[in-house]
Amino acid sequence: MPFRFLPDIALADIAFEAESDSVNGLFESSALAVSDIMVDPETLRSGTTRKVRISSEDLDRLLYDFLTEIIVVKDVDSLLFREIEVEVAADQKSLEATMKGESIDRDRHLLRNDVKAVTMHMFGVRREGGRWKATVVLDI
Amino acid sequence: MPHIDSIKQVSDVVWEIPTSYKSGMLVPARIYATKKLLDGMDAGVFEQLTNLACLPGIVKNAYAMADAHWGYGFPIGGVAAFDIESGVISPGGVGFDINCGMRLIRTNLRYPEVKSKVKELVDLMFRLVPAGVGVKGTLRISESQFEEVMKYGVKWCAENGLAWEDDPSHVEEGGFIKGADPSKVSRQACSRGINQLGTLGSGNHYLEIQVVDPARFFDRDLAKHFGIVEEDQVVVMVHCGSRGFGHQVGSDYLRVFDSAMKRYGISVRDRELACAPFSSKEGKDYYGAMVCAANMAFTNRQVIVQKVREAFSQVFHRDAEALDMHLIYDVCHNVAKVERHSYDGVNAELLVHRKGATRSFGPGHHDIPAPYRAIGQPVIIGGSMETGSYLLVGTSKAMEDTFGSTAHGSGRTMSRTAAKREVRGAELQRKMLERGIYVKSATMDGLAEEAGFAYKDVSEVVETMDRAGISKKVVALRPVGNIKG
Repeated sequence: MPFRFLPDIALADIAFEAESDSVNGLFESSALAVSDIMVDPETLRSGTTRKVRISSEDLDRLLYDFLTEIIVVKDVDSLLFREIEVEVAADQKSLEATMKGESIDRDRHLLRNDVKAVTMHMFGVRREGGRWKATVVLDI
Repeated sequence: MPHIDSIKQVSDVVWEIPTSYKSGMLVPARIYATKKLLDGMDAGVFEQLTNLACLPGIVKNAYAMADAHWGYGFPIGGVAAFDIESGVISPGGVGFDINCGMRLIRTNLRYPEVKSKVKELVDLMFRLVPAGVGVKGTLRISESQFEEVMKYGVKWCAENGLAWEDDPSHVEEGGFIKGADPSKVSRQACSRGINQLGTLGSGNHYLEIQVVDPARFFDRDLAKHFGIVEEDQVVVMVHCGSRGFGHQVGSDYLRVFDSAMKRYGISVRDRELACAPFSSKEGKDYYGAMVCAANMAFTNRQVIVQKVREAFSQVFHRDAEALDMHLIYDVCHNVAKVERHSYDGVNAELLVHRKGATRSFGPGHHDIPAPYRAIGQPVIIGGSMETGSYLLVGTSKAMEDTFGSTAHGSGRTMSRTAAKREVRGAELQRKMLERGIYVKSATMDGLAEEAGFAYKDVSEVVETMDRAGISKKVVALRPVGNIKG
């Protein structure tokens, strides 16, 4: 798994740490963790594609805004994703993402928790031992 | 709790950490708890409460109620009042779920009449009140109508056939808080919120059929004022808030405040404690947007209650009016409001943050609806879906001691992951049914996470606040049917 849950950080909510050998991979892993909290990805199909472009002041906020976008799309368009490809720009202030998934189907999807917000608690992207890591705490 | 040398017992269930405990504390920190609850509190409560006591413009004390536990920035169960001119406003002091709150409606039914219909009622309400991941409500409104919702809350409902005549007056602030400014709410927030009216959400939110517990009918005279007159009388409780709308407002302004603090020379010990002067542009903008979310939450609970009335009417083949399904009250437990209070010989308007804390205004206060003014404001404390809930009233002592505030619920003691390790959703559902509680959930994982053992003992929380005199017990309500988001 490119992410692991951290059960002791926020009792009422859900925290995870994602990691990858690239910034793109880190963003993809983090997004997949958010999806995994909301739905069992094995029950999702990849029929609908959504492309997003996001710009921010720095890499930290870019991840915050990207994960927030996934939550917003879930509420506004009822879409959940199981495949996510991210291309972060060289200046690390913008990204383009291609996300594949489908509309929520209560009969077919094994739904889990409704993620409502990304928090700033312990939030951050860092480089450790040559790998990219992020800690994210989500409000449930 | 961590070992704190300087903590001292002020009275039976009140503890104080002095300003000497941490550099920068402007006021002492007070904790309402029995020794058992105090010892059981996580270290985060003490760290966060004393951080809170450092915020500019805080007056008198920073408070943690008996249900306190770690939160983002402020602890859940935290109360802090700030000077209007020199004080700050903090999204972390309100919580992401702006105006998460409780609503209680009564019926004239007794449990023996309802027992055989609980399943039918719960199943019907589960269909009428959408719950779970990404749900949309059945109410379709235009953008301009949503703007009216943001400004006028339950008053808008009353004008649009979605409320009974006496509903608005039985909601805190008369159904809407003044000062909403929809121009300060992002498009993203509006997009998330416009289709969510009448939805329960998920997490710890619920819709519950409850029964007056004859063994814990503490004050029958007070209960009569709320229309609770019978042992085994059936009531319905709603716990939810402003859904994705309020969360987006919270997220948007956390970003704004994170950057704005530098401009105002404010540094905080925790990024989630981001704040700005209440009198600043950012402070006023957030307040205007937060009020929009608070009014949306009042409306959300109102639309849900209309569906509850519809369900009961359908199942019992009687009008909801004939079933006396009046609103007892609706309280916020995540909000910041401008209120007038007397403290330290001063009478002034203050910005009172209550995060996981309930207003508990005492008898005679002009903000309490006329039928209850002589006895105090109804206070609704929600327990876990297994242990039941309480109806209390506010007191004069709360006005003197805690800016008219008390606890809000039971507070988690176990992580979601740990709870799921302890019990499977289907097993919990079966065990609850054996104990006479029919529960239906949008998710079995979510159900397991909300098991009663994951929470503090709500009775001890309520008892503590009663002993402290900042809210008075009226009646305990035991669950018989529950919808979990």
